[in-house]
Amino acid sequence: MTTSNTLPLISAAAVQDTPRATAEPRWVKWTLVGIALTFLTLFLILPLAVVLYGAFEAGMQVWWQAVTEPDALAAIRLTLFVLLIVVPLNAVFGVAIAWAIAKFEFRGKTILISIIDMPFAISPVVVGLIFVILLGSQGWFGPFLAEHDVRIIFAVPGIVIVILFGTLPFVARELIPLMQQQGKEEEEASLTLGASGWKTFWYVTLPNIKWGLIYGVVLCNARAMGEFGAVAIVSGRIRGETNTMPLHIEVLYNEYMFTAAFAVSSLLTGLALVTIVLKSWIEWKDERKQTSSTAR
Amino acid sequence: MSIHIEGVNKRFGDFVAVDNVNLAIKTGELTALLGPSGSGKTTLLRIIAGLEHADSGVVRFNSEDITGQHVSERGVGFVFQHYALFKHMTVFENVAYGLTVKPKKLRPSKAEIAKKVHKLLELVQLDWTADRYPSQLSGGQRQRIALARALAVEPKVLLLDEPFGALDAKVRAELRRWLRRLHDEIHVTSVFVTHDQEEALEVADRIVVMNKGRIEQDGTPEQVYDNPANPFVYEFLGNVNLFHARVKASGETKFTSASDDSAQQGDEQDGLAYVRAHEIEVLTSAEPDALPVTLDLITMVGPTARLEVLNQQDGKLVHIELPKEQFKALNLKSGDAAWIKPKYSQVFLGEGI
Repeated sequence: MTTSNTLPLISAAAVQDTPRATAEPRWVKWTLVGIALTFLTLFLILPLAVVLYGAFEAGMQVWWQAVTEPDALAAIRLTLFVLLIVVPLNAVFGVAIAWAIAKFEFRGKTILISIIDMPFAISPVVVGLIFVILLGSQGWFGPFLAEHDVRIIFAVPGIVIVILFGTLPFVARELIPLMQQQGKEEEEASLTLGASGWKTFWYVTLPNIKWGLIYGVVLCNARAMGEFGAVAIVSGRIRGETNTMPLHIEVLYNEYMFTAAFAVSSLLTGLALVTIVLKSWIEWKDERKQTSSTAR
Repeated sequence: MSIHIEGVNKRFGDFVAVDNVNLAIKTGELTALLGPSGSGKTTLLRIIAGLEHADSGVVRFNSEDITGQHVSERGVGFVFQHYALFKHMTVFENVAYGLTVKPKKLRPSKAEIAKKVHKLLELVQLDWTADRYPSQLSGGQRQRIALARALAVEPKVLLLDEPFGALDAKVRAELRRWLRRLHDEIHVTSVFVTHDQEEALEVADRIVVMNKGRIEQDGTPEQVYDNPANPFVYEFLGNVNLFHARVKASGETKFTSASDDSAQQGDEQDGLAYVRAHEIEVLTSAEPDALPVTLDLITMVGPTARLEVLNQQDGKLVHIELPKEQFKALNLKSGDAAWIKPKYSQVFLGEGI
C-alpha cells in the first residue's frame, strides 16, 4: 500500500515540473490535437454516423425486416460460420509461425518473414483468381476434385480458404516482434525447472503473448468479416448460399435497396465494435487483477 | 554431485565457442568460470545445463552420462543474468513453479508446496514479497527470487550465468557475499559464470579461467592470483604492467627496455615481466635496479592513488597503485621525475618478443 500511496505523489510533482521545461508552445499542442480530432471526425465518426443514420432512417421495423429476411440471415450465418473456422485456425498458424521465427534459427527465415506479408501485398481479387485457377473446375486440381465430388470454388470451402489466406498475417505479424523481444529465457527457465515443452508453452509462453494474440485475433476477426474482393471471385454469389455479409450488402446496394444495405452494414459495424469493446474489457479486467493484488 | 566434462566442443558456424574442454568439478564446490566475453564460459555452462548441445564430448553428473538427456530431466537449477522470472506470476507462483509442473504422481500437495516455498523465501530473506509481481521488486530482490525458484526443485547442481551482472556495484557486492554464505549453508555443487575477476576471487572455492574456448588455468583463487599460469591469466586478473626483462640462469632478473639491443650474454634469456600495479614501489631518488620515470597523471580514487608514469627508457605508460597516504608522503606532483622498482614480478620467457 505504501508504494501505491507514494508513487502518485512523486509523479504528480514530476508532471507539474516537466511541462515548463520541455513542453512545446500551447498553439502546437492545440493544433495537433485539432488535426487529430478533425481527421477522426471526418474519416471515422462521420461514416459511422452515416451508416447508423442510414440503417435506422426508416425506423426500427424496417431495419429488423432487412436483417431477418432469409437471404440476410443466411449471409450472417455464413459469415459467422467462416469466422469460427478461420479465426482459430489463423490463431494457431500465427502462433506456430511466430514461434518458429522468433525462437529458432534456420535457413530461409527471412524469406519466410516476407512470404507471411504476401497476403497484404497481393490484391484480394488476385487472391480470388489464384484459387479459381488452382481449384476451379477448369483449374489445375479441378478434374481431381470433380472426380472425388468435392466442391470448393463457388462453395463455402472456397470462401474459407481465401479468407484464411487473406487474414493469415494478422496474428503472426503481431506476435513475431513480441516474441523476438521477449527472447527465450523464460522458456529456458521453465525447462530447467523440469517442465515439459507443452507445459512451458501453456504456462509461460501463452500468458506472455496473450495480449498480442488477442489483438491479432481481433484484427483477424475484423478483416475476416469484411473480406470482399477475394470472396466475390470464389463464392459465385449464390444468394442465400454463398453470400457473406459484405457480398450481401453489395447485392442490396446494386438493387437500390439502400436502407436494407445500410441495415446489414450497421450489423457488420456493430460486430466490429463488439470485438473492440470485448478486447478493451479483457485488458481492463486483467489490469485490475494485477493492481488489486499489488495493493496489499 | 560432481560434474565431469570430457572433450567437449561447440561451434556456432565458424566461431569456436568451446574448444575441447576437460574439467572435473567436485561435489559441493563453488566454482567460477572466469573469462572475457566470447571466451566460451556461458556456452560451457549452458552445455552443462542442457540448454545447448555439445558438438562432441561427454558431460557426466557423478558417473552418469547425461550428454543426451533433455534439460528438463537433468535436475539442474539455472539462474539467468536477467533473472528470467515469469512476469505474469507472483513471487510465490514463480518459486512454486518447479513443483507445480511436476507430473501428478510426483507432485507434492498444495500445503507442502506452500510450506516449501515459504521456507525458501525465508532463506532468501524475501518472505514478505510472496504476493508481489516480479516487476515490483528491485534487481537484487529479483535475483534472489530467481535463486529460490531454482532451489525449489532441489537441483543436483546449481548453475548461475553472470548472476550479478545486471546489478549495480553496491548490490552486487552485497549479493555475492550473501551467495557465499548461502553456499556454505546448503552446499550444493555450484558453477557460476563471471567476467569480473574480483567477484570470482571473492566468492569461489575454485576458479577456472577461460579464453577463446579453452581453459587457461584451473585452481584456487590464491593459486590463480599468486601464480598465474600464463600472461593471459596475469593480465586478466588485475591491472598489470609489462616490462622487458632479461633473466639469468640463476634466476636473477634485470629490467630492460625494448630498444635495448645489446647482445644477450651467455646464459641470459629475453622475456616479459608482469608486474601488478600495486606491486611497484615509487622512489624519489635513484637506486640500483630502479627505472627512471616521469609522473604523468595522478588520480585519487577513494583511499588509493592511481598513477600513470612514463618509463623514460622506452616511453611506455606504467600504471601504479598505492595508498593515498603513502603517495602524499612522497610529495610528488605531475611532471616530476621519480624512480620505480617492481617489488614482485613474474617473467614469461620468450613471450611476445
